[in-house]
Amino acid sequence: MRKRDFLRLAGLAVADRILPASLYGYWQKALERTPAARRVILVTFGGGVRYSETFSPEGLRNIPRLAALRPEGYFFRECWNNGVLSHFNSTASIVTGHWQRVDDFGFQPPASPTLFEFYRKAMKAGPLDAWVIATNKSFAAMGASGDRRYGLPTGANVVLPKQLLLDAVKDIARNPSGAGMADREEVLQRLETVLQEGYEGVGWTIFKSGRELDRHVRETLTRALGEFIHGPEAPTAGDELTFFITREVMREFAPRLMLVNFWDMDVAHWGSYSLYLQAITKTDKLTGMLWEEIQSNERYKDNTVLLILPELGRDGDLNTSNGFLNHRSGDPSCRRTWLLALGSGVKGETDRPVRHIDLAPTAAALLGMAQPETGGALLRELQA
Amino acid sequence: MSQSAPPRADFGHIPVTFSSYLSEQLRGWETLFPAEQAYLERLSRYLGKAPASMFAPLEEIEKKMGVNQQKWPRGKFTLEQVDFLNRNANYQQWRAEIARLFGRIDPVLEEEVIAKGRPRAVIVLSPAELPVGPDRLWTRLEGQGRRVRLSVPEEPDHYLALLLGGDTDPGWGHLLCSAAKRAPYSVWAIETGEQLSAFCRGPGTVHLSYDLLSAYRLRLMAEVQKIAEDAEVKGPRQLSERLKGLKMRPEESSIAGDGVLSEFARTTLLAGNGTLLVNNTFVEWSAIQALRRARPEVLLVAFGIRNKLKPFSSLLIFHDQNKATAIPTQADMLGSYVDLEVFYEYVWREAAKHPEYRNNTAYVFAAIGMDELLLIAPQDFPLETAPDRRWSLSEVQQSIRTWLGG
Repeated sequence: MRKRDFLRLAGLAVADRILPASLYGYWQKALERTPAARRVILVTFGGGVRYSETFSPEGLRNIPRLAALRPEGYFFRECWNNGVLSHFNSTASIVTGHWQRVDDFGFQPPASPTLFEFYRKAMKAGPLDAWVIATNKSFAAMGASGDRRYGLPTGANVVLPKQLLLDAVKDIARNPSGAGMADREEVLQRLETVLQEGYEGVGWTIFKSGRELDRHVRETLTRALGEFIHGPEAPTAGDELTFFITREVMREFAPRLMLVNFWDMDVAHWGSYSLYLQAITKTDKLTGMLWEEIQSNERYKDNTVLLILPELGRDGDLNTSNGFLNHRSGDPSCRRTWLLALGSGVKGETDRPVRHIDLAPTAAALLGMAQPETGGALLRELQA
Repeated sequence: MSQSAPPRADFGHIPVTFSSYLSEQLRGWETLFPAEQAYLERLSRYLGKAPASMFAPLEEIEKKMGVNQQKWPRGKFTLEQVDFLNRNANYQQWRAEIARLFGRIDPVLEEEVIAKGRPRAVIVLSPAELPVGPDRLWTRLEGQGRRVRLSVPEEPDHYLALLLGGDTDPGWGHLLCSAAKRAPYSVWAIETGEQLSAFCRGPGTVHLSYDLLSAYRLRLMAEVQKIAEDAEVKGPRQLSERLKGLKMRPEESSIAGDGVLSEFARTTLLAGNGTLLVNNTFVEWSAIQALRRARPEVLLVAFGIRNKLKPFSSLLIFHDQNKATAIPTQADMLGSYVDLEVFYEYVWREAAKHPEYRNNTAYVFAAIGMDELLLIAPQDFPLETAPDRRWSLSEVQQSIRTWLGG
């Protein structure tokens, strides 16, 4: 497989196919003229997490930040995933508002238009105004659907940080030098090299006339890599990098619509309950840090709704398919999730069951768009 | 291995999504355990006489799902068909109907098993290194049984010898060696390391060790990595087909010569549930699968300590972590404790699902060197109603032997 194909399939497909540098400034200025324009960030606890390890009484200790934020927002106690219980289809259902039944492993794009396409087309939004930043490396096709009326030209930028990390680490394993992976600077250097090489291949396809912008994006991502590598913890997975890239993208491009997919908790498939719990707590922490970033970033403060939900649950302990390790049983533990909305201006809780496919029409309404055609319904509780 | 032939039955009157699964099971007859073969024989007999009307609701659902001869030729069962079911809009309805059918079939099939029931034992051992006492070791199960106080030897090494070997000759080892007198595959010992080897010498005793399978595991990891990196396969479905060919070699394990066991090990290690990567996951999943498939009369499970994940290199999941990085390997005691608490419950719950184990199984949860164990047992298990005092390990061992009729 050629490098370029590899990156397109697996990793770093950044931005629209055509973006003159001059237009970037135009969009930025337009955004600055409308500082009150609402922004929406969807955060998924990807990989799946059960109620019992999160918002159940015994689970709250794993999510101290969300537990503390809950009274500040609106909490839906029942948010159901009634679709296919694979990662790609679950998240694709959230962003399209239709239950998706495409290839489970991301080899097909969503069949229905995504929120990103609706948004960019309806609001004539620029290509840097919608982003997908996903730890799950099979989400390359999450930014745009196969619907010919929309598709890639109106889709979101998709960045898959873990794929970048994997590529760098593989490179070190293949060509070891010095202390190898025990040396963070070595890892950073390889990451930057991969990014540099990748951008040369991917960049020109994406930014046909955007040399300056290309450098701008690359510098933004490189900064995120440095933050990641020099962070206080020694990362074993990808969610921290997803966070740092998200934060840099927010600071530099201030997109109005983002999907942030944390996914490390899928380590549950390895059969280690402690690693699964650690990943949940890490995701809780990173989501809390994201909310802090929103509060401290002038372009996001007081005009951003953060919608946080698990893409799916995991099998119950009574289930025949080995409990938390899997997520295909279809039992309530697998399908019943929750939704926390922060920043909508509405506080409260409800037992009213809502669905994952209700997120897309609701996000559209929050962004001030006409209602797109979806199978979901507006979450009326969030209309302040 | 059973020499019997698969049952010949006409399943033409049964909807194809149901009968295909059965046909597939029968096709792999020679790799099934006797308990599985016996179940399929009972099921085939039942289905051969079952009226077609019993399956009318399923037939209706299949129509709604778009199941037809072209998509689903009778007698074939493929991963594409599984995918078709999973992604179908009527999948939940289909699954509920399958559950309803088995809810009707299983009680009938179980009657025969229950009638032939005999005492069983499941013994689960925790490593000595866990950083908690008996008050925190089995919190998920505590309400199901009671803690029994023990007098234990000063030397942890003697603990196993007393519990499994007994202080009288030939002790527990005799029981295991007498496995040949029991049905094949009726005594299992599954562990992370090699501490049970000395107690598992009897012919007919199944002994599976994560460490002893290391040659096969490392080859599987290398093969999986190669397949993934060569990009020769498009996705997990194709990968699964390729992995079927990765049979155990004679030089890789003493069980390679047993077609049923070596296939069991292959499928367990390639189940996609961390069994290749995490020692305790291998032990748990093997124990679950042994209970589900082989229904052993005695199951001895010894967990260990798993390693901490290493920075960066742990992303390369199919690499040998000892070679991938210079960072030294460290044991994760606390993490292992948290992992095992769940696994104790899963092993217990899995056994409780099967009629062979209901109301006639003694579960002994012990930790090497610890002066208490957790006992979940029927009223007539010797230790169950005994007075509250400190029991010696050999008395515990004797109770289990008496219970099993050894």
